[in-house]
Amino acid sequence: MSNYIVESLRKEIEAFKIEIKTEKVGRVLEVFDGIAKVSGLSDIKSSEMVTFSNGEIGVALNLEEDTVGVIILGDFSKIKEGDEVKATGKILEIPVSDSILGRVVNAIGVSIDGKGTIKAGKTYPIERVAPGVVTRQGVSEPVVTGIKVIDAIIPIGRGQRELIIGDRQTGKTAIAIDAILNQKGQNMICVYVSIGQKDSKLRKLQARLEQGGSMNYTVIVSAGASEAAAMSYIAPYSGVAIAEYFMDQGKDVLIIYDDLSKHAVAYREISLLLRRPPGREAYPGDVFYLHSRLLERACRRNAKYGGGSITAFPIIETQAGDISAYIPTNVISITDGQIFLETDLFYKGIRPAINVGSSVSRVGSSAQIKAMKKVAGTLKLDLAQFRELEAFSQFGSDLDDSTKRQLERGKRAVEVLKQLQYAPVKTEHQIVTLYALTKGFMDDISVAKIKEFEAELVDYSERNAKIFYKEIKESKMWTEKGEEQLKKAIEDFKSNFVK
Amino acid sequence: MSKIFPKNVAEAIYEATEGKSGTLLALTLHRGARMLHDKRILGKSNEILKALQNIFDKKTGTVRVKITTAKNMESRERKKIENEIKEKYKAPIVISEFFEKEELLGGMRIEVGDEVLDTSYRSKLQKLENFLRQEK
Repeated sequence: MSNYIVESLRKEIEAFKIEIKTEKVGRVLEVFDGIAKVSGLSDIKSSEMVTFSNGEIGVALNLEEDTVGVIILGDFSKIKEGDEVKATGKILEIPVSDSILGRVVNAIGVSIDGKGTIKAGKTYPIERVAPGVVTRQGVSEPVVTGIKVIDAIIPIGRGQRELIIGDRQTGKTAIAIDAILNQKGQNMICVYVSIGQKDSKLRKLQARLEQGGSMNYTVIVSAGASEAAAMSYIAPYSGVAIAEYFMDQGKDVLIIYDDLSKHAVAYREISLLLRRPPGREAYPGDVFYLHSRLLERACRRNAKYGGGSITAFPIIETQAGDISAYIPTNVISITDGQIFLETDLFYKGIRPAINVGSSVSRVGSSAQIKAMKKVAGTLKLDLAQFRELEAFSQFGSDLDDSTKRQLERGKRAVEVLKQLQYAPVKTEHQIVTLYALTKGFMDDISVAKIKEFEAELVDYSERNAKIFYKEIKESKMWTEKGEEQLKKAIEDFKSNFVK
Repeated sequence: MSKIFPKNVAEAIYEATEGKSGTLLALTLHRGARMLHDKRILGKSNEILKALQNIFDKKTGTVRVKITTAKNMESRERKKIENEIKEKYKAPIVISEFFEKEELLGGMRIEVGDEVLDTSYRSKLQKLENFLRQEK
């Protein structure tokens, strides 16, 4: 045994090659709140990684005339004044490999799930220039979230950036988790970046994904609430670096930043400690660039450049529904649309609490499959009209028949679009339900029985409209024959359904 | 009013004293010290002197070197190192300081400004330790 140890140690030492070269070295002048002011390091680049004598790493952010402001990624309490700091000549990189799937890592790519270290094949820089125009391609493939209201009214395409915005406790993370759960078998890798969240919440989320069998294609990057602001600041960039690793293999990736409000707050903290001048709401002047350079890395690359895509779901938490605050307006303007969640709707029992009027998807409609477009085409308008009429009907005045019909249809539409958490619906089932709704088959079903009707109809149609289902699955569209069959199946089902 | 940095004061002192000698130089320096007193920045005199030294080194092409070894070096060896540095940095003047530090175990550590060439055994052993600790 001892021979074996000596032998393997000898082999290891033989493999060790030492390279002696001049290094750029600085000295710590002061350390406070996760920040170090360092003298020397005259040739350092912005965002370059530095190492401290105790092994901690840092990133140079402020390059001043005589000093460098470094954010410390780790425990800063062990760094002392006068400690040596070495420049590495590299932009901060994180280790990536296929075996990262199913794992929980921190902002610098170190596993924190207790399942041992992750074998890294490569390293990817966390800061990278977004793919250029020539390498890109328009959005044309859908990201199916399994959430009816999103897939029908606010469709999302691969490579799109769709903001999820709303107050606390309105179901923002729930939408993201449902979207991840629904990617099973859809050839999509998911990266969930948790920024400044409680560890208990993250643990629950991980357990839910494991339960749904979704961790196999998911990576969680976590910068917890108890970690330094620097970790929260770099976590989204690490997440997108992991996403880029998979995109470079031609794969489609869905990345969720939960949430960018906390990210901006972490960056504000760092900026103020670095004595950068504060601007609106005390955020630094480059807070727009902070998010735009991150979200611009979401894209769909054309086949000539290897294909693959990164779809981004940034999440923003508003305060009392104020979407005109600094960070929400910034991110709204950067993204290709937003899903707006409202507390009022949530407490009315309309869940997901998506305000269809304020939510929009600017590019997703070109990614929506034809069949869905056909059934959901007028749904947004119908719902908007319903909301207007609903407010009007509160006055209790006599309403004409067509208005009454619109109101009744609207009530049923709202009911159909309600959905339980962790219960994504298949596209073909969504189409059947929406077809029945928009063609008026649900008009004489009482609102209380809509959910029951929907569940049983889906089940019945699957058995009795096989041509329709086959056509949807294969060509994403139906023929007259398929539609006829579906119509007949709905009519047959309805005649036996107890209203 | 903008803040006065030690570097600005050092530049001002250098410009004011450049080319002066004797009584005139003494008078200028006296006035400089008075100004530091009046502006209440005498406490920063160490930083100002350091900045002044940097300016002077830059103008004269002086290179300051710190050489640390485990054991005392012979003057022949010292001379050789100084000549190497003179050649590498193309510096007309090299001012070297020699230190002894047993912890280095062997080899030497040469520091020029923020550039460090560390060939000490201690640093090599440290690198070996890091290499062996690495996940493979």
